[in-house]
Amino acid sequence: MNRLTGNMPRPWDSYRVTLATAVALLPAVAVFIARHFPAIVAPMLLALGLGLAWPLLFAWLRRKPLRWDGLLTATVFVLLLPAGVPLWHLALALSFGLVFGDLIFGDRGRSFLNPATVGLAFLLFSFPGLGTEPSGLTVTLAAAVGGAILLGLGLLSWRVATAFTIGIAGPLLMLGGIEGLEAMTSASLVLGLVFLVGDPVAGASTNAGRWVHGGLAGGLVVLLGSAGDSAGSLPSVVFAALLASILAPLIDQVVIFFNVRRRARRQSNV
Amino acid sequence: MRFTFRKGLKTNTECLRGPVGEPSVQTVAFLGADYPGVVFDLKVAEGDPIVAGQILCVDRRRTEVAFVASAAGRVRRIRLGARRRLESIEIACEGEAYRSFDAGPAAQGSDSLRELLLQSGAWAGFRTRPFGHVPDPSGRPHAIFVTATDTNPLAPDPVAVLAPQRELFQRGAEALLHLTDGPVYICQPDSAPLVPAQDRMRVVTFSGPHPSGLPGTHIHHVIPASRQRSVWQIGYQDVAAIGHLLETGRIKAGRILSVGGAGLADSALVCAPLGAKLSDLVHGRGNADAAQLLSGSILSGQRVEYLRRHDLQVTVTRRDPPESLARTFWQRQLDRIRTPQTGATLPLEGFERVFPLDLCQSPILRALAVGDVETAERLGCLELLEDDLALLSHLCPSGSDYGMLLRRTLDILAQEQAA
Repeated sequence: MNRLTGNMPRPWDSYRVTLATAVALLPAVAVFIARHFPAIVAPMLLALGLGLAWPLLFAWLRRKPLRWDGLLTATVFVLLLPAGVPLWHLALALSFGLVFGDLIFGDRGRSFLNPATVGLAFLLFSFPGLGTEPSGLTVTLAAAVGGAILLGLGLLSWRVATAFTIGIAGPLLMLGGIEGLEAMTSASLVLGLVFLVGDPVAGASTNAGRWVHGGLAGGLVVLLGSAGDSAGSLPSVVFAALLASILAPLIDQVVIFFNVRRRARRQSNV
Repeated sequence: MRFTFRKGLKTNTECLRGPVGEPSVQTVAFLGADYPGVVFDLKVAEGDPIVAGQILCVDRRRTEVAFVASAAGRVRRIRLGARRRLESIEIACEGEAYRSFDAGPAAQGSDSLRELLLQSGAWAGFRTRPFGHVPDPSGRPHAIFVTATDTNPLAPDPVAVLAPQRELFQRGAEALLHLTDGPVYICQPDSAPLVPAQDRMRVVTFSGPHPSGLPGTHIHHVIPASRQRSVWQIGYQDVAAIGHLLETGRIKAGRILSVGGAGLADSALVCAPLGAKLSDLVHGRGNADAAQLLSGSILSGQRVEYLRRHDLQVTVTRRDPPESLARTFWQRQLDRIRTPQTGATLPLEGFERVFPLDLCQSPILRALAVGDVETAERLGCLELLEDDLALLSHLCPSGSDYGMLLRRTLDILAQEQAA
């Protein structure tokens, strides 16, 4: 449908959103490549290839223009990948994530999950006992820089980020005191916050819902972490993000229920 | 009552005031698209001479509702669109002849006032919420909202425009009291009250960035409209025009408009009749071509030839650079990649920062985009009209025109209610 109104140059279109997210990913990618140079090349190329091939296939089948978000999904996926994953595991998991987390729903924005989250959850579920995920304070810092860029642009909700931080820090402080907070410097945790939990598509779409969604994801990280290795480990972050985004539409429905009831009361009172 | 909003889009353009120019308008037009839901019965034919205030057409279902000519002249062309729906009646202006109305009885009773407003076309200045229709001739709304604020970029300043016609405005506002049993709200900027407040005449001030000046924002916060509660809205210049009609028995078709935008060196106020041809209004103010002209503000304006009924401004956009020359080699390569026309709504937090209404906007936008009429109604789309969503359409990366989607949804809901 063509636009009739709105002739002011728009600040965002779908390509600009993709581009801005790519820019926010750049610091993390640069640090990551510098740290793991030769080993990372093959997984990265394979992932990028898949991130292009699947959207291309769907674009061709649907006769729609190609969207480039698959490349971002692939990059986030590789950044969070545990060390020593066989390439065919990677290919299978990422393909599952791309297709069933995003592409079968249609455009980006029509799904309710983040494809990287789905792919990583598939990987961790199907092939347990994987190596430790790459970490390091520099990656954490680079991811935080990316998060700051997205926050500044308004693509990452500050409500989600704040609620997530509170949701983690609260239980950690209660459980382990100040030392417990060390888990919050894990690279998976910050990457997961910025690119998995903070994805607007995979989160709640109301302001109250964003608080609940972020807090829930944070709390789940601690809960799942205490059951497994530690809070902030990759499985805890991925499954917390997955569960929180599955619950996000429900959270929205609750918020909408209260909004509708509040407005109905105003209707009868005023 | 006083409302101050923090949410909204801060634009660095102020309301316009200053001397009012009088461009010579050669053509005016009556536009069918200004009145959604109306099927017109023509009362004139091409070539007929007409006087200002003469009935051009009436609503087929409610024949009392008349639509009148805003200037004297000759009917140049009647354009019919798909399914023989009236698109426009173009009038070549000449002369000053006008139709006189007997405003005497209207001062006495509510029925004769209605009759006068209906016959003189002033009735078409009202819009109902929900649905944005011309109200029923016998309808009695729960409240009438007079919008004497305008926060659109480069809009005329209502207080300055009303200053010379304060008494007419007051007279018109008092006449509105006869049309409703409920209150008449004068929504105005934070300044001295435009009319003295009385029992049913209430002054409400609104301040804050756009959209604090839109009637949708006012009505939502004062008395939300719904299926059970119909509310009418009317612009400040239409109220002054009603006052003028009651005072003199002549319609006042002239409106004070602002003409401005990035395509013009300087902005100015002009006085022109309703439905004036946009290119006549900018004539002599730099060479703007028709593709640059918008009726309405840059946010909600539409690329049309003539001024729409409820618009009080004309925006001249920047001239588009010629396609082939301005693009560099790399830009042309980029152009070859097909860009999506419209995509899915991205529920960004930024939407909430510009929407001062207590509605869940991302879910509403989604419901409108997929055509889920029931959900859209439950979420409160009956409180909205097209202009209220202009800012969200502007911000949404999907590129959807939510105003148009809302109109479609409202039309379906209105048909259901009528059936």
